[in-house]
Amino acid sequence: MAGVFERVKKIIVDQLGVEEDEVTLEASFIDDLGADSLDIVELIMAFEEEFELEIPDEDAEKIRTVGDAVNYIQDRI
Amino acid sequence: MSFPFIDFNGKIARYPIIQGGMAVKISTAGLAAAVANAGGIGLIAASGLTAEELVAEIKRARSLSSGIIGINIMFAVTRFKELVLTALREGIDLIVTGAGFSRDVFAMGREFRTPVVSIVSSAKLAKIAESYGAAAVVVEGKEAGGHLGTDKSLWQILPEVVKAVKIPVIAAGGILTRGDIKKALGIGVAGVQMATRFVLTRECEVHANYKNLYLKAGTEDVVLIDSPVGLPGRALKNRFVERLLAGEDLTPRRCVNCLKKCRRNFCIMEALERARQGDMENGLVFSGERIGEIKDVKPVTEVIRELFTGVES
Repeated sequence: MAGVFERVKKIIVDQLGVEEDEVTLEASFIDDLGADSLDIVELIMAFEEEFELEIPDEDAEKIRTVGDAVNYIQDRI
Repeated sequence: MSFPFIDFNGKIARYPIIQGGMAVKISTAGLAAAVANAGGIGLIAASGLTAEELVAEIKRARSLSSGIIGINIMFAVTRFKELVLTALREGIDLIVTGAGFSRDVFAMGREFRTPVVSIVSSAKLAKIAESYGAAAVVVEGKEAGGHLGTDKSLWQILPEVVKAVKIPVIAAGGILTRGDIKKALGIGVAGVQMATRFVLTRECEVHANYKNLYLKAGTEDVVLIDSPVGLPGRALKNRFVERLLAGEDLTPRRCVNCLKKCRRNFCIMEALERARQGDMENGLVFSGERIGEIKDVKPVTEVIRELFTGVES
């Protein structure tokens, strides 16, 4: 099975229509990948589905970069 | 005509109209109760209040009306969860939420059997809200006052949303006349939400200067600003807005962390509070696009009666 980062990256590329090499761990969803608040909601929902997680509002709000998402998911699966 | 689309704890509104939430403290208990008494649904704006202030407002509204009273709250405020839970514990009839999208609020509403209504500006978000259990969606177009989720007209988005969801749809943003309501009903909505019109009512408790500025304002006075919330906001041009648009540094010196994320281009709570207290030069005054068409201050009952005379659902 692909690593968390690879799976997260695939979701981001699909959802945001960005290039794979733009999706670095440091990239901010809003500032670097051009996501709006609706995109973020959809991304979080996609992460929940892919990794069979429940991500509460409070946690979702702290996920600002790709690395935040990867770390959060890695800690919980 | 009835408004049977959701069970507001056994209460059904006579008219399918929600008075939109206006923060900070523009739509308070007095206005919400007057709208509820007139057969509509009144919303207390919870954003910017403390939990204690919200409890006091809800109790005051209940003492003035046995009608349907809800709160409006934006997800962007730090106290979002605390204020939602406070309102639910006080037995509020509905929660209307916007400016960001909370997914947890629906479970909170379910626990108290209280309907949660999401303000959306796209069919996509409307469907997401429906999937999480929203009782209805308010579709807000770019014509609305305050924070905006879109640059598209209500009339463009509305048919898409009506088609996309099965839950009731409520039209908002630029609704002002009976003709607008008829047009929206024709598209298949269950009701409308209006806010700007209700500022110019006798029962709105805002400072007289605020109402006078609203009365004087023309279409040319309505502008868009960048709100610290991270969304555009529709407001009236005044000295404060001109300084902001000119790019003057208005970075707040003090901060109480009222927003989860703040762009800190100015302090929105202070700016809204100044306007509420009557400082119309240095305060921020949100307003809908069609303010120029409203020429008088009326009692709430009269506004609602005029809107619905001869309208059939």
